[in-house]
Amino acid sequence: MTSLVRVELTRLRWRRAVVLLLLACVVVPALIAAGTIWDTRPVSEAEIVEIQATAAPEIARCERRPRQYGVSPARAETRCAELVVEWQTSRQDLSLARERAGSGIGVAGALVVLLMLAATTFAGHDWNSGSMSNQLLFRPRRARVWAAKAVAVTGVALLTAVAVSTAYWLTLWGVMQARDLPVADGGLTASLGFGLRGAGLAAAAALGCYALTMLLRSTVATLGVVLAFGFATLVLGGSLPVSGQWEPLENIAAVLNDGTEYYVDIPPSCYDGRYAQGRAECDDTRELPLWRGATYYGGAVVLVGAASVLSFRRRDVP
Amino acid sequence: MPDLAIQTQGLRKEFRTRRGTRVAVADLDLAVPAGGVHGFLGPNGSGKTTTIRMLLGLARPTSGTMRLLGEPVPERLPAVVDRVGAVVESPKFSPNLTGRQNLLLLSRSIGVPDTRVDAVVETVGLSGRDRDRYKAYSLGMKQRLAIAATLLKEPDLLILDEPTNGLDPAGIREIRETIRGLGASGVTVLLSSHILAEVQQVCTSATIVGHGRLLASGTVEELLGGSTAYRLVVPDQAAAREALAAAGLTVGEEDGALRVETDDPVAVTRLLGARDIWLSELSPLRADLESFFLDLTAADQEATR
Repeated sequence: MTSLVRVELTRLRWRRAVVLLLLACVVVPALIAAGTIWDTRPVSEAEIVEIQATAAPEIARCERRPRQYGVSPARAETRCAELVVEWQTSRQDLSLARERAGSGIGVAGALVVLLMLAATTFAGHDWNSGSMSNQLLFRPRRARVWAAKAVAVTGVALLTAVAVSTAYWLTLWGVMQARDLPVADGGLTASLGFGLRGAGLAAAAALGCYALTMLLRSTVATLGVVLAFGFATLVLGGSLPVSGQWEPLENIAAVLNDGTEYYVDIPPSCYDGRYAQGRAECDDTRELPLWRGATYYGGAVVLVGAASVLSFRRRDVP
Repeated sequence: MPDLAIQTQGLRKEFRTRRGTRVAVADLDLAVPAGGVHGFLGPNGSGKTTTIRMLLGLARPTSGTMRLLGEPVPERLPAVVDRVGAVVESPKFSPNLTGRQNLLLLSRSIGVPDTRVDAVVETVGLSGRDRDRYKAYSLGMKQRLAIAATLLKEPDLLILDEPTNGLDPAGIREIRETIRGLGASGVTVLLSSHILAEVQQVCTSATIVGHGRLLASGTVEELLGGSTAYRLVVPDQAAAREALAAAGLTVGEEDGALRVETDDPVAVTRLLGARDIWLSELSPLRADLESFFLDLTAADQEATR
C-alpha cells in the first residue's frame, strides 16, 4: 500500500495540470494577501499632503462651519484636516477578526475550488487516457488502487491547504505586528483555527471530487455535477423552502467559523411584544455547531466515496 | 507450471444494451497449453478482446470459470498478475508523460527496480526516444512501449492483442522475432491477431473463435491437416476425373487443373497409370490458415444467420 501511495504521489507530481493548480493554490492566496495588505496600508505623509492640497476647499468649509461636520469648534483646526483625509482614504486598519469575515473566506474558497479541480483533473486523466486499465494490469486489487489514489490526493490537498492557510494568517499577523496594530487576545489562534478548518474543508472537497470522478469516470461530468450543485446552492438555495440547517452555505459557515447561527420563521404571535418575551420559540435564530456542518459535508463525502469504491470494484474498466 | 497456461470453461459475457442483451462471449472453453506461442484468431467482434479483458480482471464474466497459470481468476488474480504481461487493444499511457516516466510508474507499482526500465527500453528498441513525451510517439513506438511494459514483470505468460499494429515492416519482423524468442524460452504467449499469416508464421497452436464461440483449436498442423489436396495436370481431364471419382476420391477443378483430395499421392499415380492416363504434374496444394479461417468463419456466419 505504501509503495502504491508513493507511486500515486509521483504520478501527481508528474502531472503538469495538477502541479499548475497546486501552484495556483499558493499564488491566488498570495495575491489576496497582497491586496489585503495594500488595502489596509497606513496613510502616508505624502498621501496626507496630497489629499490636503486637493481637498483644501472642503477642509476650509469644515473649519468655517465645524458643527456641520460634527467637529467641535475648539478642535476644528486639527480635526477638520484629519476628518477629510479619513474620508478621502476610507481605509481601515488591518484586523484579523475583520479578515476572517472577508479575505479569509476568499482564501478558503479559492483553496476549495482549486483543490477540487486538481483532484478531478488527476483522477479524470487516468480515465481519459485509458491508462487506468494499464495500472490495473499491474495492480489488480482495485480497492487498494482507489485508496492509494485517495490518500495521495487528500494528503497533498490537506498539506497544501494547511501550509497556505497558515502562511496567510501568519503573514497578516506579521504585518499587523510591523504596523504596531493591536491584536485581540486569541486573535491569531482564532485565525489559524479558521484557516485549519478551511483547509479541512478543502481537503474533504478534493476527496469528494476525486471520488465523484472515479464514479463518473470523467473530469467533464464531475465538473458538470459540481457546477450544477453550486448553481443550485447559490441561485435556487434561498428561494427553496429548506430550513437553514440544511443549506450548504450555512454549513460551510458552521465549519469555517466553528459554528454559526441561522434564521428560522417564528409564529405570528411572537410579534406581539407582550407574549414574545421569554418564549423559546420566539427566538428567530438557531445555532448550527461545527459538528453539524462537518457531518453534513463529511456524510456527503462518505456517501460519494462508498458509491465510488463499489462502482470501481464492480464495473468493467475500459 | 501447470499444463495449461490459460483455461476457461463455459465463459460467458453479456452486455446489456438499449436493444436488449448482447452476447459477446458464449460459453467459451479455451485451453492454451503452457509454453510456445498460441494464436487467438477471430473476426472483428468475435469476442477475442472481451475474453482477454475478462482473463485480466478488467471485465467481469457473466458466468463461467477461468484459470491463469493454474490459478482461478479473478479471485486469485493478484497472486499471478506479476507473472502475466499483457497489451490489451491499443497501448494506453499518459500522453503528457515521457515513455520512461510511464514505465517507471508501472515498475514502481510492482517494486521492480528502475534499472529494469532501461533494460526493457533497450529490448524493444526505444533507447534514445524514451525521454520523449508519449503523445509524440508514432503508433509503432507506442506499441513498442506497450510491449516494454509487459516485459517489466519478466512474465511466464504474455497476452498480446494485435502487437504489430502500426509497426513498419522492420518493426514487425523484430517483434515477431521477439515473440518467437519468448515462446522458445519457455514463456507462453497468447497472440491475438487478425494477420493470419503472422499467426501461421509465429504460432505453434491456435484457437479460432466466432461470435464468442470456439470454432476450432489445436496445433497449426492439426488445424491445417484436415484437408490435403493435390493439383493434377493430365492431357485428358475428363477421363482422369472419372477414374478418380470411381475410386471414391473427391475431385474438383481449380485454375484449369484438377484438384484431388487425398493423403496418398502414390495411389493416385498408380490408379491413373493403370488407366493409361499419364501425369504431367502432381503437386501438393498447401493449405493455409487464411483459407481455413475464412472457410470456418464463413460457415459460422451462415450458421448464426
